[in-house]
Amino acid sequence: MRLLKHHLLTLALLLPLGLVAQEYIELNLPKSNKVVIRVMFKNGSICDPAGKEGLTALTADLISDGGTGEWSKSDIDNMIFPMAAYYGASVDKQVSVFTFEFPAVFTDDFYPILKGLLLNPSFDENDFNRIKSSQLNYVTRSIRNSSDETYSKLALEDFLFRGGNYQHMVSGTEAGVNAITLDDAKQQYKKYFTKDNVWIGIAGNYSPEFLQQLKADIATLPALEVEVPDADQAKMPDGIEVEIISKPGAFGSAIYGGFPIDITRSKDEFAALMIANSYMGEHRKSYGRLYQEIREYRSMNYGDYTYIEWYPSGSSNMLPVSGYPRQANYFSLWIRPVQTGSGLKQQYDELKDITLGHAHFAIRLAFLELDKLIKEGMSQEDFELTKTFLRSYIKLYIKSPGEQLGYLMDSRFYGRKDFISEVDQLLAKTTLEDVNNAVRKYLQIENMRITIITSPDEAEPLAESLRKNLKSPMSYSNVVKEGLEEEIFEKDRMVEVFPLNVKEVKIIDTQDTFK
Amino acid sequence: MPRESEQAAADSILPYTIHQKKLANELNVVTVPYPSPGLAAFYIVVRVGSREEVEPGKTGFAHFFEHMMFRGTDKYPKDKYSEVLKATGAAANANTWLDRTVYHMTGNATMLDKMFEIEADRFMNLNYSEAGFKVEAGAVKGEYTKNFASQFTQINEAIVKTAFDKHTYKHTTMGFFEDIVDMPNQFDYSLEFYKRFYRPEYSTIIVVGDVEPETVNQLAEKYFGHWERGQYQAQIEGEPEQQETRYTHIKNEGFIPLISLNYKGPAFSDSDKDFAAMDLVASILFSERSDLYKKLVVDEQKALNLYGAILGTRDPYLFSAGVLAKDENDLQYLKDEINAALEQIKSEPVDSLLLADTKSNQKYSFAMHIDNPEAIAESISFFTWLTGDPESINRYYRLLDQVTPADIQQAANKYLKDTGLTLATISSKEEGGIQ
Repeated sequence: MRLLKHHLLTLALLLPLGLVAQEYIELNLPKSNKVVIRVMFKNGSICDPAGKEGLTALTADLISDGGTGEWSKSDIDNMIFPMAAYYGASVDKQVSVFTFEFPAVFTDDFYPILKGLLLNPSFDENDFNRIKSSQLNYVTRSIRNSSDETYSKLALEDFLFRGGNYQHMVSGTEAGVNAITLDDAKQQYKKYFTKDNVWIGIAGNYSPEFLQQLKADIATLPALEVEVPDADQAKMPDGIEVEIISKPGAFGSAIYGGFPIDITRSKDEFAALMIANSYMGEHRKSYGRLYQEIREYRSMNYGDYTYIEWYPSGSSNMLPVSGYPRQANYFSLWIRPVQTGSGLKQQYDELKDITLGHAHFAIRLAFLELDKLIKEGMSQEDFELTKTFLRSYIKLYIKSPGEQLGYLMDSRFYGRKDFISEVDQLLAKTTLEDVNNAVRKYLQIENMRITIITSPDEAEPLAESLRKNLKSPMSYSNVVKEGLEEEIFEKDRMVEVFPLNVKEVKIIDTQDTFK
Repeated sequence: MPRESEQAAADSILPYTIHQKKLANELNVVTVPYPSPGLAAFYIVVRVGSREEVEPGKTGFAHFFEHMMFRGTDKYPKDKYSEVLKATGAAANANTWLDRTVYHMTGNATMLDKMFEIEADRFMNLNYSEAGFKVEAGAVKGEYTKNFASQFTQINEAIVKTAFDKHTYKHTTMGFFEDIVDMPNQFDYSLEFYKRFYRPEYSTIIVVGDVEPETVNQLAEKYFGHWERGQYQAQIEGEPEQQETRYTHIKNEGFIPLISLNYKGPAFSDSDKDFAAMDLVASILFSERSDLYKKLVVDEQKALNLYGAILGTRDPYLFSAGVLAKDENDLQYLKDEINAALEQIKSEPVDSLLLADTKSNQKYSFAMHIDNPEAIAESISFFTWLTGDPESINRYYRLLDQVTPADIQQAANKYLKDTGLTLATISSKEEGGIQ
């Protein structure tokens, strides 16, 4: 009898696998007290129709923050409150991920809600209006008034991918969001949230029967009607092009620069580039060259980092999170806000005659360091240390079951099974020569697009300085200057005249960004 | 191997045993074995924050000092320290808040000995140059500069400055900007600061993960056992009772209109019910489950969001509630609606089912959160900096369970009164103009 039951169960488990096209990533943890389900659709903001920029994000939010055919949003809020279940959608350029987390003891109570949201969303007009106005608020006000760093980062993407389907913010443009109707969202759901472009991940304490039910239900999603587009790659800029965004009230100059690179996690060479990137500017770590030169030796700002792929919410995330896989990639450097000329004048009597803040000097210093890496390569010692660091550090990306699941799912996007363990093996095999070859192949300082958010009184002198490659001496306060070693000043004299291949500098009013 | 079978007391919110050992110098060593193969989180909580910044001109110093802790010792000068830390492959950082500074590393459990060694070295033998000190101050100014773009940073700074007269909670952890600009001139004071607070009686070591208490205790004794006790205790002036409603306003056309009601609230406690009751009030009145959220955000859509919270602090701080408004002309209406909800909870006992649901929400939220060593170490840190005792985590949730509708009504009447209110607004207008 027991044997028969076992066979029936096996049969039941096998059946849906043979019948449905969806891919499942499973992480059964019987000792866990919860269940995490991630539903990842391969759509994203590149599926937004022209003139309706922001539609995929709005649709995903309407699904996750609206009601179902059976229950209103408020009904659901009441139901999930005692369970402390939570869920939400996160949309990027090429994927939309719904993440649900709930205590395992409430699986039977919570699952009908999950199922209702994904398969039978209510598309209620009142919910639509609420979510649309929240999204409109983000693209018109929040983006300009929350963090100049995020602002410069998203403005850089707009600049770098201009004319392509990566250009607009995932949340859209003001005109795009304004134009979206409830019917548009319904159509977007039917077209792009389908059983043919979905990956499902489940982690935690769940039964085989539950998984079987989930698979059977997901298989009832509509079929894909239209092809999901490929990502438009950014074109390599011709020289260095700068957009300075003049924002009244800006307290510093926030800087982001980048250029496209033809490499993602799919390629094995990515591991070598990871080592170079970590050495140059590991996110939020004091080990990076840029951090040491700009922050630690010269006291110019809070931190300076480099990236070889998109890094969401860099101001708050200490480690890279999953759910943002992309085909179109770029190298970027993040110089956190440096002081403006007017700020320095107010702070120090001895700087009352300066005409420019620290932005030009900081950019030159970053370029000089990058140039040094390209020309000289890493040393054996730095290479060994950085490799050791990364092989341990990457394991911290997947501390929790949810993080583990997220990374496994992103791996599939890149044609890998388990990126973290695979890249660990690749790192182990990578040689110093591999790293220096990858640096020369992918990195350069001749062509880049840069965005700078700064105050109106800094914008013009900064533009002039960049355009004409004017000498930009570092202006230290006396109190800092008196303690610095001569070698710093020596290097400064190189930095202040380091030639940049600047081709174009524009000043843009903050109201004219993201148009 | 961690002791997976080791179970905490049945009524404990934390399902893992908290092992504690106090060394002779009063340094508390806390170990929580947790099944995370090969991984450990190593935290040091120092009970010094902006609350201890009692001298004029020294605001922001606890946070600045946290930066200085990465500037090296004789054994591991700055660059060597970075190199050794990098070789551990750990995620290491630190942060400062009102009541504490926390240093943390999460990484390979087999590197625990090295982690102890480098942490003990800088906690006992920190030795930075005056030049290094002056340079680091620029990074703090850079931190202030990047934070300033946010309207929430600006309004928070204005709220505490208005709400407090005497207590050090008057300034934020970042400190006043003029004090930050002056930081490079405070080298001698920094040496004094280290002597005062970086002492075993101010500190707790918390290790969670693939570790044994015996090993952790031995390492603590080996590396921290000879750390000398200090003498200093900051004299923090109490805040006199507020007598009338206070107002603060930011005029900015680009910002999202905001109204925020901030009442003087109770300090954290795991024995007195006031704080737990106000914690529940915030959830009952302002979560997405609340009637007010349904009305203002979901149905009328005059508010873009709704929030309410009481922060756990060592001394009485603020109970805050507020909204971001779609239209600044609705600010008075939104304030009146929040006020009506507050009046109702003062005059009527809350529904017992709603109270039970709210307690359930808090407990399951916690239980779901603690799914890795870092999250557990962070949770334990929170209760440790508040009371000095990690077991406070279990005591607090037991207390929360005992809060009755009468307790809530009593606490609401005690704290939610106009004479304790600081009303903050952001709009395009010259003055807030909200009553």
